[in-house]
Amino acid sequence: MKNPEQLIRRGVHRKGIAEGIVKTFLGCMTWAVIAVALMIFGRMIWDGAPVFFKREAPFVNIDFLTKKTETLHVFDDAEGNRHQLAASDFHRWTESHGSDAVFNEQTFSYCGGGIAGPIIGTALLTLLSVLMALFFGVSAAIYLSEYAKQGRFIGWVRLAILNLAGVPSIVFGLFGFAVFVLAAPVLTDAPADRSLLSIPLGFTHLSFQGWGSSLIAGAATLACMILPVIITASEESLKAVPQGFREASLALGATRWQTIRKSVLPFALPGILTSSVLSLARAAGETAPIMFTAAVAAKDDLPWQGSGGPLGVLTGQVQALPYHIYTLAARIPTSEYTERAQFGSVFVFLLMIFLFSAASVVLRNRVRSKLKW
Amino acid sequence: MPEPLPSQAPSGHPFRRKGRSTEGLIKAFFGGNAALTIVILVLIIVFLLREGIGFFPAYRNELQNYRKSGLEFVDIARSDLTAHEEMGSLLNRAYFAQINSSCRIEMLRSQEAMSIANYLSEATAPAHDALARVKEAAGENATPAELLEKLSAKYRSLLENALAGKSGEGFPPTPHLSSAEQKLLCDQIAARDPLSTDDPPFATELQAALSAKQEQASAPLASFKEAIDAFQSTSSALDALVTETSDAVKTTKEAAVLHEIEVRKRETLLDAAKTAKPELRSQLEADAASAVMTEPVDFNVAMAPVLARIPEFKEANAALIAGLTEVSSKLPEAFSDDKANRYLKAFRAATPAMVAETADTVGKLEAWRADLPVEMGSTISGFISGRDWITGGEWQDFYGIMPLFVGSLMISVIALAFAIPFGVGAAIYTNQLAGRRQQRFVKPTIEFLQAIPSVVLGFVGIAVLGTLLQEVSSADSLSWIPGFPIQQRLNMFTAGCLLGLMAIPTIFTLSEDAINNVPAAFAEASDALGASKLQTIFRVTVPAAISGILAAVLLGLGRVIGETMVVLLVAGNRIQIPDFTDGLGSVFQPAHTLTGIIAQELGEVPFGSVHYRALFVVGILLFVIVLAINWTAQRLLRRFRISQN
Repeated sequence: MKNPEQLIRRGVHRKGIAEGIVKTFLGCMTWAVIAVALMIFGRMIWDGAPVFFKREAPFVNIDFLTKKTETLHVFDDAEGNRHQLAASDFHRWTESHGSDAVFNEQTFSYCGGGIAGPIIGTALLTLLSVLMALFFGVSAAIYLSEYAKQGRFIGWVRLAILNLAGVPSIVFGLFGFAVFVLAAPVLTDAPADRSLLSIPLGFTHLSFQGWGSSLIAGAATLACMILPVIITASEESLKAVPQGFREASLALGATRWQTIRKSVLPFALPGILTSSVLSLARAAGETAPIMFTAAVAAKDDLPWQGSGGPLGVLTGQVQALPYHIYTLAARIPTSEYTERAQFGSVFVFLLMIFLFSAASVVLRNRVRSKLKW
Repeated sequence: MPEPLPSQAPSGHPFRRKGRSTEGLIKAFFGGNAALTIVILVLIIVFLLREGIGFFPAYRNELQNYRKSGLEFVDIARSDLTAHEEMGSLLNRAYFAQINSSCRIEMLRSQEAMSIANYLSEATAPAHDALARVKEAAGENATPAELLEKLSAKYRSLLENALAGKSGEGFPPTPHLSSAEQKLLCDQIAARDPLSTDDPPFATELQAALSAKQEQASAPLASFKEAIDAFQSTSSALDALVTETSDAVKTTKEAAVLHEIEVRKRETLLDAAKTAKPELRSQLEADAASAVMTEPVDFNVAMAPVLARIPEFKEANAALIAGLTEVSSKLPEAFSDDKANRYLKAFRAATPAMVAETADTVGKLEAWRADLPVEMGSTISGFISGRDWITGGEWQDFYGIMPLFVGSLMISVIALAFAIPFGVGAAIYTNQLAGRRQQRFVKPTIEFLQAIPSVVLGFVGIAVLGTLLQEVSSADSLSWIPGFPIQQRLNMFTAGCLLGLMAIPTIFTLSEDAINNVPAAFAEASDALGASKLQTIFRVTVPAAISGILAAVLLGLGRVIGETMVVLLVAGNRIQIPDFTDGLGSVFQPAHTLTGIIAQELGEVPFGSVHYRALFVVGILLFVIVLAINWTAQRLLRRFRISQN
C-alpha cells in the first residue's frame, strides 16, 4: 500500500472484502486447474517411474526400452510359484520344464517384453513428418513473408491455413487413408484393380493405387496436419528479421533470392527450429491420424529388419507409442500384470513429449536473449 | 516531370534473362509451396466427398430392398414389441429400485464381504491350486509329506501377504463393514482349510440377511410384480408372430440380394468382354451367361403369406393395448423411493403415446405397400434423424447419426460446463487480479497442459478417473446426487471432465489475450470515474473483451467436438440415445460419438461398402461442423476487435 492512489481508493470504496472474496474464489479456480493437472502427472509418474527406473547401476530399465513387444504369459509352476514371462522366455521355460508343468496360464497380449518397436516407430514417424512439413512449410512461409503482395491468391492461402489448423485430427486420418493409403501414385509393373488411374510408362506403370498402410503414408498425413503450425511460426520468425537487413542487402545489388538466403534465413532459422521442435511434440502425440495410415498393434521385427531393402522401411507398417498406449488401454482389461506395460509406456511417452516441449521453451528463451535488434 | 526509368539491360541480354528467369523460378517454387496448403484443403474436401457421395444412392438401394422384401413390414409390427418391452422394463426397474432402496446397505455389505473373500482366494490361488493338484495326483496313496509341508507354508505366506494388503491391487475397500467385522471375516478365511473353497460363515450370514430383507421388501409389492408379469406376457402372441414372419422375409431378402450380386457379376463380365482380346472374349461371355444361377425373386408372391396374417397382427395388437390399460389400473399410487417414482412417472407419461402408436400400427400395416419407391429425401432425412446406427447385423443395417450426434453434443456440453468457468475465471484472475510472480507461474503451466497427448488423458480416464468417480459416487453421503452411484465406469461424464481439462488451455490462453487486448484507457477511465476494482473488471474490462472470450469458447468447443482418443477410450462406446428418464443423472450413461465411430469402425469395414461410405459422410459432417464453429469464432474476433488507437 505504498501507492497513495490505492490508499485513497480503499478509503473511498470500503469494498475490500468483496474484492478479497472474488479474488480468492477465482484464485482457487486457477490453482484447482493446476492442482488437477499436477495430480494427473503425479499419478502417472508414481506408477510409471518404478517401471522406468531401477535401483542398480544403469538406473534405467534398459530391457524395457530395448526389447520388442511380446505377449505376457502368467502361470503357476508345480510348486505353486507364480511366473510372469514374455513369450520368448516362456517358450524357453517350457522347453526346459516341459509344457505339462504350466498351470493356470493366462496370457496378456502386447504386455510382455519392452517397447523398442513403438519408440522407434514414433521416432521415425515424427522425424519424417517434421522434415517434410519443414521443407514445405518454410518454403510457403518464405513466399508469404518475402514475395507475396496482398492479393486474391494470398487471401486464399491464408484462409486455407486457418481452416487446415482447425480440421479435427480424425478427419486428417480419413483424408490420409483416402489419399495416401488408397490413391497416391506408385510405380509398379502390375497395377491393382482398384487403381484410380494407371499410366503406362513403357517399362513400368505409374498407378494411382496408394501406398498402403505404411510409414510414409502416416508421416505424410502427420505432415499435412502440422503444416499450418509450421507455416505460421516460420512466417512470424521471418517477419521478426528487421526490414533494414533486406534493404541493405538489396542496396548492395543482391537479388531477392540472395537476400533471402544470406540476410534473412540465417537470422530466422533459430526461431523456425524452435517452433518445429514444438510441432515435433504435437506430431509425436497424435494417434487418430496414424490409426489407419501407419500404425499396427503388433509387429515382430523392427522397421529395417523386414524384407524389401532400404525402401522397406518406408513402405512397411510401424508400431507407434501413442497407438500402443491406445491398444493397451482399450483392448487389454486392466489387471496387476498389465500395469507394468501400461504405466511404463505412458511414462516413457510423457517423458518424450515433455523433453520436446521443454527443449522448445529453453530454445525459445535462448534465441530471444541472443538475437536482439 | 517524367519519372526516370530504372536502367535496364536490353531485352535479349543474357544477364537480364538469366536473372529474371531464375528469380522467377525461385518465386514460382515458393509460391507453389504456398499453394500446397490450398491443394491439401481441396484434396481433403474432394476425397471426403468422393468416398462419401456414393453413400446415399447405395443406402437408398439397401432401403429399397428392405422395403421390397418386407422387412419393413415386420419392423412396423416389431416397433410395438420394442415399445412394449421398454415399458415393461420401466416397470421392472421401478420394482427393483424400490426393493433395492430398502436393502441397499445389506446388499453392499454382502458384496464387500464377497469381494474380500474373492481377493484372498485370488491371492492364494497358486498355492491352493498346487495343493489341490498334489492331492488329486496322489489319489488314494498318501501324499508326500515334505511337498505338502512346503506348499502349505507357501499358502500361509501368500495369505499373510494378502492379509497385509500387499498382493495384487491391494485390499478392496469396505466402507460398510466395521473393522471388527472385517477382521472376523479375515480370521474365518485364514482358519479355513487351504483346500476348501466354501464361503466363510460370516459371508453366508450376510447373504442370508440380504435375502431375508429382500423378501421382506418384496412382500408388499407382490401384487405389483404380478401385474408386471401379466403385462409382459401380453406380448407373447405378437412376439411369436413377428419371429415367424421375420424368418420368412429374411429368406426373401437373402434370395434377392444373392440374385442382385449375380446380375452385377454378369454385367462386369460382359463389360470386360467388350474390351478383352478376341480369344478371351468367348470365355468371358460364357462365364457371364452362367453367372446368374438364381431366379429373380417375385416379391409379391413372397409377401402374400405374410400379408395374409394381418388379422392375426390386429388381434395381437389389441391384446397389447388391453394389457396396457389393465396394468395402468393396477399401478401403485407412488413409491417411497425417488428413483422408482421417476420410473413410474415415466411409465405413466409414456402410456398415452404408446396406446396411440399401437392403435395406429394396424392402419400402417394395412397401408404398407412393397412397391412404393424410397425417396432420396427420406433416405437423407433418415440418415440425419435416424435413431439407430446398426451395422454388421444380419437383419438390416441402419445408418442414423442421431445417437452419435447426441453423444458428441452432450459430452461437449459437459466439457464446456467445466472449461468455461475454470478457463475464463483463471484468465480473469491471471490477467487482472494475480500478482506478477503468480502470473509468471500460472500462464506457462496452464499452457503446458496443452502438450499432454490426448491418448494419455484417455488412459488416465480408463485407469484412474473412471474407477475413482465410481468409488466416490458409491459413498452413502452422496447418494442424493442424481445418477449416483454410477453404474458404468466409462461414461459421458468422465469423458466430459477430461475433455474439459483439454479445452481449458485453449479457452484460458485466448481469453487472456482478449482481456489483455482491451485498451488500458478503458480501465483508466473507469478508475477515474471512481469505480472500484471489481466494478472496473466486471463492468468494463470483461464486457469489452467479451467477443474475444466468446471466440475462445467457440474454439474450445471446436477442439472438444473434434477430439477423438479421449471419447473413444472413455465415453463407453454404447450406440444409443441416452435415456433421459434419469434426469440429470443421464450424464452418467455411456455413449458413442461422431469421432469415436470413425476411429472404431474404419479399420474393420470392407473398402467401398455402404458402411465405409457412411463413415466418410460422418467425417464430412464433422468437418463441416468444426469449420462452421471456427469460422464463427474468427468472424467474431474480426468484427468486434477493439482498435488499440
